[in-house]
Amino acid sequence: MATVSTLPRAATLSNRRSGALHGKRAANFLWLLPALAVSVALIYYCVGYTIYISLLNWDGVSPDSTFVGLQNYARMLADPVFWGSLQHTVEFFVGTFVGQALLGFVFAVLLHSKIRFAALYKVLVFVPVVIAPAAMAPIFRVMFTPTGQVNQFLEAIGLGALRQPWLGQESTALPIIMGIAIWSGTGIAFILYYAAIGQIEPEIIEAARLDGAGNIRIVRSIIWPNLRGTTIAIAMLTAIGSLKLFDIPQLVTVGGPNYATEFLGTMIYRQAVPLNTVGYASALSVTLLVLAVAAAILLRFTGRERGARRA
Amino acid sequence: MLEARRWPAKLVLQIVATILVLPFLFPLVAMVEESLSGTGWNNYATVLAIPELPVFFRNSLIIAVVVIAVVYVCTMTAAFAFSKLQFRAKEFFFWLLLAALTLPEVVILAPLFATATSLGFYNTFIAVILPLAALQIPFTVLLARNFVDGIPNELIDASKVDGAGTWQGFRYVVWPLTMPIGAAIVVLTLIGTWNDYLLPLVFLQDPSLQTVTLVPSFFVGEFNNDQTKVVAAAVVTAIPEIVAYLLLQRLFERGLSAGALK
Repeated sequence: MATVSTLPRAATLSNRRSGALHGKRAANFLWLLPALAVSVALIYYCVGYTIYISLLNWDGVSPDSTFVGLQNYARMLADPVFWGSLQHTVEFFVGTFVGQALLGFVFAVLLHSKIRFAALYKVLVFVPVVIAPAAMAPIFRVMFTPTGQVNQFLEAIGLGALRQPWLGQESTALPIIMGIAIWSGTGIAFILYYAAIGQIEPEIIEAARLDGAGNIRIVRSIIWPNLRGTTIAIAMLTAIGSLKLFDIPQLVTVGGPNYATEFLGTMIYRQAVPLNTVGYASALSVTLLVLAVAAAILLRFTGRERGARRA
Repeated sequence: MLEARRWPAKLVLQIVATILVLPFLFPLVAMVEESLSGTGWNNYATVLAIPELPVFFRNSLIIAVVVIAVVYVCTMTAAFAFSKLQFRAKEFFFWLLLAALTLPEVVILAPLFATATSLGFYNTFIAVILPLAALQIPFTVLLARNFVDGIPNELIDASKVDGAGTWQGFRYVVWPLTMPIGAAIVVLTLIGTWNDYLLPLVFLQDPSLQTVTLVPSFFVGEFNNDQTKVVAAAVVTAIPEIVAYLLLQRLFERGLSAGALK
């Protein structure tokens, strides 16, 4: 935005109402056509089609399908796996939000504090954001096996008693999936907090320090309250990430063991592709869609007052 | 931010930071170590000798380049229209786009599959490219519109006084100023497309059409579940991303965190 702010002041003050190009309005609409054709048309066609399929009993390929009304939805409400996946989504959201926000915040504060190797640490925290979950999944599958690196490490530091089949038992599989998501998402929270802390005026902190405030007091009373907007943004991002979640549970645990890491994404995939119950998968999709749109509306209203200037 | 004047306090901060960063390093170290266990570097020799490997990369590259081009053109024209042009029902169309902002791709899987098979797009790049672009555009339009809103209308008025039409106003006034957000959009789209797993998994069955995210599963079949080679293959697919990030650090960080800056 530096380019814009160097404009002559007179130009920005004159002639408020003008600006927008009027011209021929029909011609103006043409500028929107590419985006409408590629995005809106395809998405709304698919959404409408999904709603229609959700009323059918259909395997997705055969020409025969029977209209079953709301039966797929009734089946969904009676399906413990569906309720389980909703519960996992909520737990996953809470866990990954708290984990990422906390770790991201601590890293942001620490790396603003003249630490050695700060550039290296920053890269290490952010690299997981860049790598595809699909590329990391094989090592995560290996790492958490009974003979994997995690148990070897616990053994090496004298905590051999904690050895266990991390992904093979219901009690630990979901926390491990959350840990993997925190591993790959903290970098974003960190970058956002890091940038936001850079915007706090150093004078405020200096003044507090002169008044005798210690480090902890400064973090608690000045830095953290100033980052509220960033924290909300991270909450929204993790909420949407939780609803969209597919790659990690699909590739690391395939939703198991015994559906302990099943999410809406993996459940829809399982029903639609391996099980060929496309009608049921579509009913689940419509439900996920409603939840996602609700999240989007929330995002829009919560995020509104935070300016777009920083993009 | 925190001030540690004496060395014990400095040391404590350093140690805390190091302990916290180690878990981020651990899987990467485990990955390299695992890929070298068993037959050592021969794992890589075997993986790199697979003739399909370059094809996976080529396919990912083709898909990414086309998706980026489509997203970029659609986003810039739409952002310009929403921000600087007048037409009927403008905000209605904007809301239509915004409503799709958080749409998970799995939601449109069934209709995409049915449509792609009936139109003969199944097992072609188009079946992956179009949905990827469609799902990316609402978000990039939102980012770009916010950015273009910050460009003063007076600049365009001035160009109109000089006789410029809408196209010239876009080409010579607005578009040159959108480079920062354009770069963020390109990087964001690149990562989203390159890392996408579900759409190639469902729509690209032919190994000659598959992408890098399918490499680990391909190698599971190829090597009879020899995990060391599967992990070596995963390392090979992750390296280009890490190198690209190290070369373009700031662009990557801005593009990927743009999600929260809306």
